[in-house]
Amino acid sequence: METQASMDIQKLDSFKGVKRVTVEEYFTSGHRTCQGCESALVMKLMVKAAGPRTIVLGSTGCMYVANTTYYTTPWVVPWMHTQLGSSGSAGLGTAAGLKALMRKGKMKKEPINVIAFCGDGGGIDMGLSAISATLMHPQYNLLILCYDNESYANTDIQVSGASPWGANTTFSPPGKAHRIMHTRWKKNVAGMLAAGHPACRYVATVCASYALDMMNKVRKALSTGGPTFIHSLDPCPKGWDYDPMYSHELGELAIEAGIFPLYEVEEMKLKFYGKTKKIVEGRLKRRPVKDYLSRQGRFAHFTEEDIDYFQKKTDEMWEKWILPGVIPIQPEKDGGK
Amino acid sequence: MSTIAVEVIYRGIFQKTMAKHITRGIVLAARKEGKVGIAFGRYGDSPERNGIPAKQFAIVADNDEELQGSIAKYEPTEVDVAIAVDDALCKGVESWAWYGLQPVNKLLKENGTLIVTTTQSAEELIPHIHKKELPYNLAVIKGKASFSGLWVYKNDHTDMRVLGALPRVAPHLFGSPALESAIREEWKDELKVASAEKSFERVQIRKVKPEEGNPEIPYSFTMPGWKSMEEGLVVRAIPLGSHFPGHDGGYRPERNPYFKKFTTRTMRPVVDFSKCTKCTLCWLQCPDSCFDVTPDGYYDANMEACCGCGVCEAVCPVDKCVTMVDDTRFDNNNGEWEMWKKDKDGYATWLASKIEHRPERSHGFHHRGQYEKERIEQTD
Ligand SMILES: Cc1ncc(C[n+]2csc(CCOP(=O)(O)OP(=O)(O)O)c2C)c(N)n1
Ligand code: SF4
Ligand code: SF4
Ligand code: SF4
Ligand SMILES: [Mg+2]
Repeated sequence: METQASMDIQKLDSFKGVKRVTVEEYFTSGHRTCQGCESALVMKLMVKAAGPRTIVLGSTGCMYVANTTYYTTPWVVPWMHTQLGSSGSAGLGTAAGLKALMRKGKMKKEPINVIAFCGDGGGIDMGLSAISATLMHPQYNLLILCYDNESYANTDIQVSGASPWGANTTFSPPGKAHRIMHTRWKKNVAGMLAAGHPACRYVATVCASYALDMMNKVRKALSTGGPTFIHSLDPCPKGWDYDPMYSHELGELAIEAGIFPLYEVEEMKLKFYGKTKKIVEGRLKRRPVKDYLSRQGRFAHFTEEDIDYFQKKTDEMWEKWILPGVIPIQPEKDGGK
Repeated sequence: MSTIAVEVIYRGIFQKTMAKHITRGIVLAARKEGKVGIAFGRYGDSPERNGIPAKQFAIVADNDEELQGSIAKYEPTEVDVAIAVDDALCKGVESWAWYGLQPVNKLLKENGTLIVTTTQSAEELIPHIHKKELPYNLAVIKGKASFSGLWVYKNDHTDMRVLGALPRVAPHLFGSPALESAIREEWKDELKVASAEKSFERVQIRKVKPEEGNPEIPYSFTMPGWKSMEEGLVVRAIPLGSHFPGHDGGYRPERNPYFKKFTTRTMRPVVDFSKCTKCTLCWLQCPDSCFDVTPDGYYDANMEACCGCGVCEAVCPVDKCVTMVDDTRFDNNNGEWEMWKKDKDGYATWLASKIEHRPERSHGFHHRGQYEKERIEQTD
């Protein structure tokens, strides 16, 4: 029985520099997203990297509702909506369907990229089991890309498993008696999926502020074949509450402060990228998290004490985790180091 | 008297709280005079985005029966007062695909009033506002457009100043004593009452005659009904783009023809091509795929598509190469690169004149403490 899907994949080499990036747009203008929506940029870069022979599935969320407003579309490549928690199943089903149609001769044999995207609500909370199940099936080629704007943004910013500690959301409004209403730390989804899915050959984290890095990871994921996963951190002017012109800068700050590390796990080999790599190698000092937090209205209620706590938890990621920024588990004897 | 309808036209989520205060304040004040009323948002605007034009309404009536006749509507068919809380909305609004361009005064009744918060004069605004067959009044409340976020409210009293102008421009809605007592009860703040009072005195009103205004016929589309949808609810994809129009090289993507998005904009980027190093960043980082690639390798922001987020200015590594400027200083969406190609000296002069009108940009939260500071400046 066939276990690897190696034959039917497109070979997409890295773009060697911004000047080599495809000029064509496959996700174009005329979508009803906020000014400065980084997730819309993720859509654009994602399909720019994947190229024209790509099918995109999108689960419910801003990138469905705002993009495909009543009977219109900004997509140049085929796109289909799927249920909020079904990016995994829809992606897997599409990849399997294409394979069957080609095997039966009902479709010309050619490698077609399948990308299923989901928001953090759809992927990190609701659809996690379907994503996990999909990553267990090496015979199908598809990429699941989670665009993480750190809330259920489309329905006006509810807390998700990916919302950062303390953030103001519709479900966690700071009050007089309780200032911090969201007391859970962000779910570590890329680390979890990379560590727990032996059949998955590629997991990466990206941020569209680093467009070339992001596009090349999409290309690598699609060229690796089998089920793959990318987690993208997307500044969201509406939910994070900032002037839309700072979308790019906030993405950079998240990386520079060490809050969101950029890495990939390819065939279980871990590799850090960009500023994160410099941080890991000790060549760059992490910026204080305050620089990141104080620029966003969702943290405007933070006291110095809250900022210190956020800093302490971020420091732990780098100083205490067994794989800094990636895996927090430690052997018992080192537990208190 | 029957019902009185007021609409607030605003820029989505970053002005939502302010719009809510205005419509709510109207109803509360009218109730002080024994009337009844309701405040609500236009259902189709939700979920609101930042920038994209949205509407909220206040309907006031003498009794319940009259009110009920008006509230089961998606949007009133005509209004007595329209309030635009950003002067760039005077160019018209396009809230959704298929909407086309809707003049800001579209729903105004004969001799109704359009209130605009602006730093400009009525004379400067009228050329933007589409001509109307009926006469109406234009009322100007001096002040910068007020933007604040979803979580942190700027509270610079723009809402109170709009409310304060209403007894002047529409005395049949309510009088000042009713408004003041409503503000006191709801917001418990004498400063807010004072802001409303000042605005009552300062608001400037000018009659607009039927022949005055922008003669342009706003673009429109025919919305397809469900019977014209294709089997499987297929929506045809956008075709691939091709070369820059009128040239062999370059690239212009095709764009969604039924939603242009430019009425989302209050600022637009102007590019000094003589400084540009063709680094690609503006083109790559624009979330709205606005930049056309010119035959000589420059990036030309397409003004039909640009929503004015300012990301291109933020990412451009060259000093003063991309500058966000006040969009009300333009009366068209013409391409900048072609203008530059034709006459570089003329373009430099034009560019300087546009940059001169660069307003201090504030579309929302910049840093902690910012609103406290601005509040003091605005509430004089
Ligand atoms: C099963 C189901 N529950 C709830 C909803 C309502 N809903 C629509 S979009 C959305 C938010 C999704 O959040 P996320 O996946 O993070 O995407 P975002 O909106 O942030 O882009 C919700 C809850 C739905 N469509 N389906
Ligand atoms: S709410 Fe956030 S993710 Fe949604 S359209 Fe606006 S900026 Fe984009
Ligand atoms: S302001 Fe710049 S980045 Fe933003 S939509 Fe317009 S062209 Fe694109
Ligand atoms: S970012 Fe600035 S320098 Fe770079 S291509 Fe755009 S306009 Fe030119
Ligand atoms: Mg989300």
